[in-house]
Amino acid sequence: MARQRYHDGLALRQALPGRFLPFLVGAMSFLAALALAGGIAAHSLSQRWTHGAGTVTTMQVPAPDDPASRPATPAPSSGPPPTRIAVVLDLLATTPGIVSAHRLTDAELRALLAPWIEQTGEQTLPLPAVIEVRALPGHNPAPDLLAQLQARVPGVVMEHDSVWSDRLAALAGSLQGCALLAVLIVMTVAVCVVMAATRAGLQTRRQAIALIHSLGATDGYISGRFASRVTLLALGGGLCGSVLALPMLLVMSQLAAPFSALGDPAATAPMDWHDPLSRIDALPHALLWVLLALPPAAGLTGWITTQMTVRAWLRRLP
Amino acid sequence: MFRLHDVSYAYGDSRTGQAALSHVSLDVPQGGFRWLLGPSGAGKSSLLSILSLEARASAGMVEILGVPVMQARRGALARLRRRIGSVHQDFRLLADLNVFDNVALPLRLQHRAEAEISHEVHAIMKWVGLENRLDALPPQLSGGEQQRVAIARAVIYRPALLVADEPTNALDERQAARLLMMFHRLAELGTTIVVATHNDAIVRKYPAPAIELARGHLVRDYT
Repeated sequence: MARQRYHDGLALRQALPGRFLPFLVGAMSFLAALALAGGIAAHSLSQRWTHGAGTVTTMQVPAPDDPASRPATPAPSSGPPPTRIAVVLDLLATTPGIVSAHRLTDAELRALLAPWIEQTGEQTLPLPAVIEVRALPGHNPAPDLLAQLQARVPGVVMEHDSVWSDRLAALAGSLQGCALLAVLIVMTVAVCVVMAATRAGLQTRRQAIALIHSLGATDGYISGRFASRVTLLALGGGLCGSVLALPMLLVMSQLAAPFSALGDPAATAPMDWHDPLSRIDALPHALLWVLLALPPAAGLTGWITTQMTVRAWLRRLP
Repeated sequence: MFRLHDVSYAYGDSRTGQAALSHVSLDVPQGGFRWLLGPSGAGKSSLLSILSLEARASAGMVEILGVPVMQARRGALARLRRRIGSVHQDFRLLADLNVFDNVALPLRLQHRAEAEISHEVHAIMKWVGLENRLDALPPQLSGGEQQRVAIARAVIYRPALLVADEPTNALDERQAARLLMMFHRLAELGTTIVVATHNDAIVRKYPAPAIELARGHLVRDYT
């Protein structure tokens, strides 16, 4: 059977040499891996901003321990008026859509303001209470809540982070679009490269092809032989591209760690250059799947393109 | 068998190209040996190309071995080609395959078992007297030897129709006689054989029914 396969006169090793095509497909796969990594990173940041920072509202309550103004219809058995901070926390606890309301401790607050406090040297500065409110994704309680709070606790300030997170999400969206466009361009170039290589191969072996065609070889047989060879070469090229992209992506993930893995000491730890693969866990799973899928995708692209190119070429023959 | 009805063929564009065949009609039954005669430029090679499915008639009806060629799908034409053998003046051997692999090519394309291929190739190469040159490459052979390899490749799968264009040109008299004997033997076994030649001497020496062309027209049909 092996003798049959390699002695049909097509001499595909001459028609499609094993250097040019794998190199170019490898380069395309490498570029596709980088583009897809960019897209996945942008998607991941977009998710983080939309579901993380975008759902956080920061609230400042000046003079938190002062008594709050009484409501218009006070409770019948009212004792001393509650403090302003207590009123705010009560209201937050009963507001639908709010997941948590965390009042920063004194230590947290001073840590947050340390650079300014140290600069001014002022330790007795009256600080407002700061509350970090987390709402359900896509839920912005600020507009209704602020009016209620202003009535009971004048001077309360709310900052909803969705303004900048929405802009960042839009930026991430456009980055994803760019990544998709880059992948499409890379795929188009890869298809053109395969077509050009296949046509050159057909031209090189045109006499042999015409002969075996006249002896009864079907279009499917000839295109299948070319497609098998190209698939093998593209698969090899895709594998090389994926393998070569991995260290680059590890380095990039290390560089991007401060932006993408805040508060995760393992992710932001310096890379161990003696064991770079130890950082693979830090890469998004989607990216690892992409790296695994690139070689078969390159092979499939090569197979389809070659089949179509060869069959179109064979139409010239009677 | 093959039937041609009002067949025309032109090189290049079918309307503006140079006419090689004009309104040729033929009806040849299965089996038997026929000469195809005519001077150079008469259209013999064009007719053989149409019969071996290497060219498509510009007009008319072509039926070969019961298959209407003009309407047939590509897959059906490929299957039909496996029943047609052809010998060309330029031999058309693949220079990078040795003699064995050149001759085995049609059988391999038919996915025959390697043991059967080996048996068939050795038998046919013994018959053409080249059993000792199986490992040689075509450029290492003389013109006559290449012609014999091409003939072996054309007949190894016992085609139902065999067309040959000046097959005796590169052969000496003894080899030519041997080849024509083989063709007659194949014809007796049921193969339809059409051999083009402009060698009157050989036609007189081996008389057989003849088709004669001149300037693309059928001038005589003794079939």
